[in-house]
Amino acid sequence: MTPVWLLVGLMLCVVGQAILLEPLGVGGIRPDLFLLLVFFLSQRLRPEAATLQGFLIGLTQDALSGGPLGLRAFTNSLLAFVASCLSRDLYTETPLAQFGLLFTGSLGVGMLSLALFLFFFGAVSPLPALLRVIVPEATYTAAAGVVLFSLPRIRAALARLA
Amino acid sequence: MVSALLRLLLRFRRTVVLAGALLVAFLLMTLQVRHESAVVSVTRQVLLFAASPLVRVTSGALHGVQTVWRDYADLRGLRQENLRLQGEAAVLKRRIQQLEDQALETQRLQRLLGLRENWPAEYLSARVVGKDATNWFKSILLDRGSLDGVRRNMPAVTADGLVGRVVDVTATASRVQLLTDPVSSVGGLVQRTRVTGIVSGNLGAVARVRYLPLLADVVAGDEVVTSGMGGVFPKGIPVGRITAVERRSGALFAEALLIPAAELGRLEEVMLLKGMEARQGFETGSRR
Repeated sequence: MTPVWLLVGLMLCVVGQAILLEPLGVGGIRPDLFLLLVFFLSQRLRPEAATLQGFLIGLTQDALSGGPLGLRAFTNSLLAFVASCLSRDLYTETPLAQFGLLFTGSLGVGMLSLALFLFFFGAVSPLPALLRVIVPEATYTAAAGVVLFSLPRIRAALARLA
Repeated sequence: MVSALLRLLLRFRRTVVLAGALLVAFLLMTLQVRHESAVVSVTRQVLLFAASPLVRVTSGALHGVQTVWRDYADLRGLRQENLRLQGEAAVLKRRIQQLEDQALETQRLQRLLGLRENWPAEYLSARVVGKDATNWFKSILLDRGSLDGVRRNMPAVTADGLVGRVVDVTATASRVQLLTDPVSSVGGLVQRTRVTGIVSGNLGAVARVRYLPLLADVVAGDEVVTSGMGGVFPKGIPVGRITAVERRSGALFAEALLIPAAELGRLEEVMLLKGMEARQGFETGSRR
C-alpha cells in the first residue's frame, strides 16, 4: 500500500508544485507539498522506511529544482525520521496543534536547508532568506497542511449530515 | 563474523539507514561544490527525464482544459448575445476576439523575432511547462531538449531581455536557471557609464549587482546589459534597471538592487541562443 501511496503522492506533488500551485503563490511563495507528503507518510511508517521515503521524495524535489542535488534529500530524510519516531507522541487532530507541528517541521527544514546551503555554497544572506522564504513558506505550508489533512474529516462530516 | 555484523546492522538498522541517507545526500552536495560531477549530472538527468513527461503532459492537459473552459465561457456569452442581438453580433464579437488574440500572438512573436536584429544569432523557441519545485531556487522547465538542439549553458532570453541559462538538459526537456536564482552569476555592464559588476540572484524578485567600484557613477534608473565577459552571455542583452545603490562604510565594493528587464514571473515562451554554449567563464562556475 505504501509504495503506491508514495508513487501517487510523488506524482501529485510534482504536478502540483511545478504547475498547479503557481497561481496560488503569495509573493512567489508556495506551500511545500513534498514536505507535507513526507510528514503524512512518515507518521504511518517505521523510522527506517520513513527515512528512505523521505530521501527519495527529497531527491525528486531536488531534481525538479534549481538547487543542489541532495539538499532536500538530506533535510527530508531527517524530517521523516523524526516525524516517524515521534508519530505516536505527536499525533493530533486539533487543527491548531497540527498547524504548530507543521510550522515547526517546515521551519526546521528551512533552517537546516539554509545552514547546508551556506556551508556548501554561501552567496545567500541569512536574514532575508529567513524573512522572505523560510518563515512565509513554513506558515503557508502549515496552513495548507491543516486544510489537506482535514479533508477526510470534512468529507466524513458532510456524509453524516447527508 | 559476517552474521555477527549483520545482526549488529539489523539491531541498529534505524541509525544505519538514517546515517546512510544523510551521508549519501551530503556526498552528493559535496560533489557539486566546485564543479558538477558525472554521478550528480547523471542522477539529476535520470530524475528529470522521469519527471518531465508528467509535467509536460499535465501542462498540456491544463492548457487544453483552459482553452475548452474559455471556449465554453465564450459560448455562454455568445448565447446571451444571440438572444439579445439575434445571433449575428455575437458571432462577430467572437471573431473580433479571435483576431485580437491572433494579433497579440503575432505581436509577441514579432517581438521575439525582432531579437534577431538586436542580437544576431541562431534562436530556438521553447515553451515554459513548469516552475521550480522549491521556493528557494528560481528555475523553469522548458518543453525542448537535446533532440531539439538544446545544450547546457545556452542563454535564454525574451524580447524584453535576459532570462537565464540552461543548466540541465534531457532528450525532451531542459531547465533554465533564472538570473534571480541565488547561485546565478551574470557579468553586467551599466550602459550609461560602462561600469562592470556581477548580477546575482537574492532569493527574491530582484537581483543584486555586486562588485561595483565604490566611487563608480551608478545611480537608480541606470540600465544594465550583459558585459559579454563571463563566457556564456553575449554582450548587450538587457538585464534590468537599477533601483537603488548601497555604499556601506568599510565595504570594498558598492552593491545595487536591480529589477530584471524580462518579467520572470510571467514567462510563457523563451528563446534560446544557439552557438554560445561551448564557451567557459565565471558565469558557468560555482555549483554548475
